[in-house]
Amino acid sequence: MIQTVAWVVSLIFMTLIAVVFGVVALKSQGRRDYEPIKKKWYKARSFYAITLVIVMLAVTIYTLRDLPYNQPVYSEGQEPTVVDVEALQFGWDISQTEFKVGEPIEFDVTSKDVNHGFGIYDEDMNLLAQTQAMPEYTNTVYITFDEPGTYEILCLEYCGLAHHIMTATIEVTE
Amino acid sequence: MTTTTIRARERKSENNQIVTYLIVGGAIIFVMMIFGILMLLAQGGALDVSPAAFYQFLTIHGTGMIGAAALAAASVMWYFLREYVDLSKKIFIANLVLFLIGVVMVIVGVFSFEYASSWTFLYPLPALSGGAWGTIGALLYLFGMLILGVGFLLLFIDTGRAIIKKYGSLGKGLGWDVISGKKSEEDAPPKAVIASTMVTIVNVTALLAGATVLIMNIINVINPAFTFDPLLAKNLTYAFGHIFANSIIYMAVIAVYEILPRYANRPWKANKVFLIAWTMSTVFTLLIYTHHMLMDSVMPTWMLIMGQALSYANGLPVLIVTAYGALMIVYRSGIKWDVASGLIFISMFGWVVGVVPAIIDATIVVNHVMHNTKWVPGHFHMYMALGACAMLFGFMYFLAKEDSAIKPNLLDKIGLIGFTLGVLSLSGSFLVSGALSTPRRWATHIPEWMGPALFGAVAGVLMTISLAIFIIHFIRYVRERDYVPRDEEGKKIA
Ligand code: HEM
Ligand SMILES: [Cu+2]
Ligand SMILES: [Cu+2]
Repeated sequence: MIQTVAWVVSLIFMTLIAVVFGVVALKSQGRRDYEPIKKKWYKARSFYAITLVIVMLAVTIYTLRDLPYNQPVYSEGQEPTVVDVEALQFGWDISQTEFKVGEPIEFDVTSKDVNHGFGIYDEDMNLLAQTQAMPEYTNTVYITFDEPGTYEILCLEYCGLAHHIMTATIEVTE
Repeated sequence: MTTTTIRARERKSENNQIVTYLIVGGAIIFVMMIFGILMLLAQGGALDVSPAAFYQFLTIHGTGMIGAAALAAASVMWYFLREYVDLSKKIFIANLVLFLIGVVMVIVGVFSFEYASSWTFLYPLPALSGGAWGTIGALLYLFGMLILGVGFLLLFIDTGRAIIKKYGSLGKGLGWDVISGKKSEEDAPPKAVIASTMVTIVNVTALLAGATVLIMNIINVINPAFTFDPLLAKNLTYAFGHIFANSIIYMAVIAVYEILPRYANRPWKANKVFLIAWTMSTVFTLLIYTHHMLMDSVMPTWMLIMGQALSYANGLPVLIVTAYGALMIVYRSGIKWDVASGLIFISMFGWVVGVVPAIIDATIVVNHVMHNTKWVPGHFHMYMALGACAMLFGFMYFLAKEDSAIKPNLLDKIGLIGFTLGVLSLSGSFLVSGALSTPRRWATHIPEWMGPALFGAVAGVLMTISLAIFIIHFIRYVRERDYVPRDEEGKKIA
């Protein structure tokens, strides 16, 4: 799950940073001449900078290969079920809410009034996908459910006092 | 009257406005923290708060924190920048006055007229509240923000004017003539000037975008028949919000540049790499606001890809130059640790750790499942509270030390530790919530989401107590600085 990866990667890097700052703080006393320190650590910095740039480039390229904006590649002859979604203060108007496992779906999402957010949650309340619901524009989000169950739609953009009760459900069967 | 007392009095009156800025900023941040705790208690199910009240708290907390931190950070910038260029004190005071007027209007709009659009006032929410608030509340808030914005705009136009007058152009303020080799590194502008130039450029842009979208909202509130393109409005809103919120740390970091070398007794001069880093920050800060719109697939895809790529790149200047430089300055320097230097050092840590979850969330595939979850407040509380605010509070201790005989005591040290642990816990609890898919800006939580919220509330109490300690120290300084003997330069006589 992406959330877990994000959390673990963040923890690793944040811990690393904490260690670096901790070590420097511990080694802050016992004054030494600055010139040699500068020379040595400027050299180290070039190496560190290059590594950082390479890692960032690699991650950028890797994570940009497959963007959620594009229609995924389906098996031959398969077309997604197109579902129209209209958000309004404070509810969801969804043209179809019952789907089959493995059925590719394209949600075309817009709004009648203000900005809302169309977030799809599974039964364990993990966020699977989202897009913004905004007036005058139609955003698209693609999803194919792998498991049967009741999925929930939660509003993910603050839209007024009933924002947190602006939910709906979707049924997915075998 | 001897010259000594005149000089001392001048010096004191020069710092009067700085002190006022810091007291106003610190006091607002303190009160806003209490609203933060109330929100978490409500989300954690420990306190019964109506949705209307919750979203009013959310609105005032977001607006108040950004505004107050920006105000205090502007005073840090002003304090150091005035050593190098001629700034207008009148404008500095005018900004404070406009700020206070704006704040009063915002407070009245939110609490008396139940206005609650959150601080991003995303068009057309101010006009379409679903019956929750009316025209008066919306206009009070929007005009209040506009007045506040005009004050800051005047301030940054003045800093720009002063920099151009002294250095010739904003490009030269960023040291472009040194980068291009026309001038030697020794003649690079001071770091306070470089940072102030960057902030001037980005904030004038941000405030113009903000003013435009505020006016659009105001027109739409007054006459709903006038409508605007919601996507344009969203772009302007996030251009304003992202840049203005980020500029806070770029103003406050001047305190790090100025204070850390003094404590470590080592030089920290701008060189070419430093200048290039600040030019990069200038450009990236202006462009990366699109990472707030990664879930708007109607946006041109190249803008969103740019949003991700440049958000990554935006981490480089701080990771490679500022934080790295700070670590080098401190390493084996024999630095004297006290509350000021401690907070300043911690602030660099706060900025850098905050970059990590920010960069991760700027990744489009991650954003797809983390956008508008509590992951977002997770990363920005780290870098706003542990980064920017620690710089501001560190500066307050620095000023007290420079300007009076007050010494921090054990309590202040406890405050330092409490604040650090408090912010780390609060931000950590937000990040956990985000990893659990908890949506942000939700007045209520399902039971699975309540634990981290309650934990965060306790952490918030720790932060608030720590800030109270910082403020008490600062007030002690303000009351005693009248009795400090000074030499001709206005420096205190030990
Ligand atoms: C005791 C310390 C603090 C606590 C307990 C706290 C708590 C919170 C909470 C609960 C939220 C709303 C989260 C949600 O979306 O569900 C929030 C949002 C926010 N906080 Fe804080 N906070 C604290 C300190 C700060 C500081 C020091 C700053 C900046 C200087 C800050 C800036 C913000 C901003 C900008 C928002 C976004 C508001 C919005 O979503 O419209 N907070 N905070
Ligand atoms: Cu909604
Ligand atoms: Cu909503």
